[in-house]
Amino acid sequence: MDLVMEKSFVQQLQENQNLIHKICRLYTNGEDAHKDLFQEITIQLWKAYPKFRGDSKFTTWAYRVGLNTAITLYRKKSRTVNTIEFDNTLHKINQEEYNYEEEEHLKLLYQAVHQLNDIDKALVFMYLEDKDYGEIAETLGISEVNARVKMNRIKGKLKKILNP
Amino acid sequence: MEALDKLKNDWKKNGGNYPKFSEQEIYAMLHKGSSSIVKWILIISILEFLFWIGLSFLMKDSQGSQRINNMHIDYIITPITILNYVIILYFSILFYINYKKISATDSAKKLMSNILKTRKVVSNYIFVMILYSLIGVVIAFILLFMYDQELVKMIHESEEKGNLGWFYLIYIVLALVATAIILLIYWLFYKLIYGILLKRLKRNYDELKKLDF
Repeated sequence: MDLVMEKSFVQQLQENQNLIHKICRLYTNGEDAHKDLFQEITIQLWKAYPKFRGDSKFTTWAYRVGLNTAITLYRKKSRTVNTIEFDNTLHKINQEEYNYEEEEHLKLLYQAVHQLNDIDKALVFMYLEDKDYGEIAETLGISEVNARVKMNRIKGKLKKILNP
Repeated sequence: MEALDKLKNDWKKNGGNYPKFSEQEIYAMLHKGSSSIVKWILIISILEFLFWIGLSFLMKDSQGSQRINNMHIDYIITPITILNYVIILYFSILFYINYKKISATDSAKKLMSNILKTRKVVSNYIFVMILYSLIGVVIAFILLFMYDQELVKMIHESEEKGNLGWFYLIYIVLALVATAIILLIYWLFYKLIYGILLKRLKRNYDELKKLDF
């Protein structure tokens, strides 16, 4: 693969890297694991890049490869334990905008999402990213109706985790 | 406000708070090794193909096959050997075709199903090779009893001593034990490697399948 292609890939990825960070945030705990998954997604994106024709948006394409990597392709290395610390550092920056109670509630919410299984997380991720059910269904390979049903179930599941 | 929508608000506000990798860092990542499950399946599958190919070469030079060669029964041995290569060729081509179908740009379900299909080709291959080996062993035994001078002599001696029954029994038990040990090793290997490697994938695939009942 030639250098021009590599350069344009790296540029696009660098500009849109937030999207991958978001996937990593849902699927990993801790800084090392986050970086590890980020790297694997980068490698998988690069591998799939020759097939990316530019007829879809870079981000739409990257969502799919990124989620597929997180759900299916990625082999977790040994689990890291410093779970909450990393999540907190991500959060603290916004702290002044929230009162303490709300901050605590959000923290619980993120923890609840972390407890969901891989597929549920993918649905939550796309929901948070404002994807419509058509795209969610297509990305996962299920029907739109079932994607809706599943999303409602996940909301119920989250409620249960939050108010046991 | 619903919990998820509250999360969504925060999710969007948090957009800028992620670490930012520089282009140099991304370049460096590109050239690091992948730890993808597909890569592991490829490596293990190639090893499995090589294992059986290696085994058939080892067998060729073994004492047992020397003895079979001495019997001059090429009309049986040649087709069996050709069959061996045909099986290997057929499954490696099938494996390659399926492996090439694996694409990270497919839907999650299709990707998982293609990975499992590729894996299935290798397990079918192994099943066929075990079956082939078992049949091969049985044929070899029959041939030895029919044509091998030394063995025929031993059988006659046992017959004279009156312990022919024991002779057969020991032979059969030894053959069974050897087969059982090989199968056990294979089964353990299987459970261990694929248990670890494919557990999460299978769980996720079942979850998706359950959704589209």
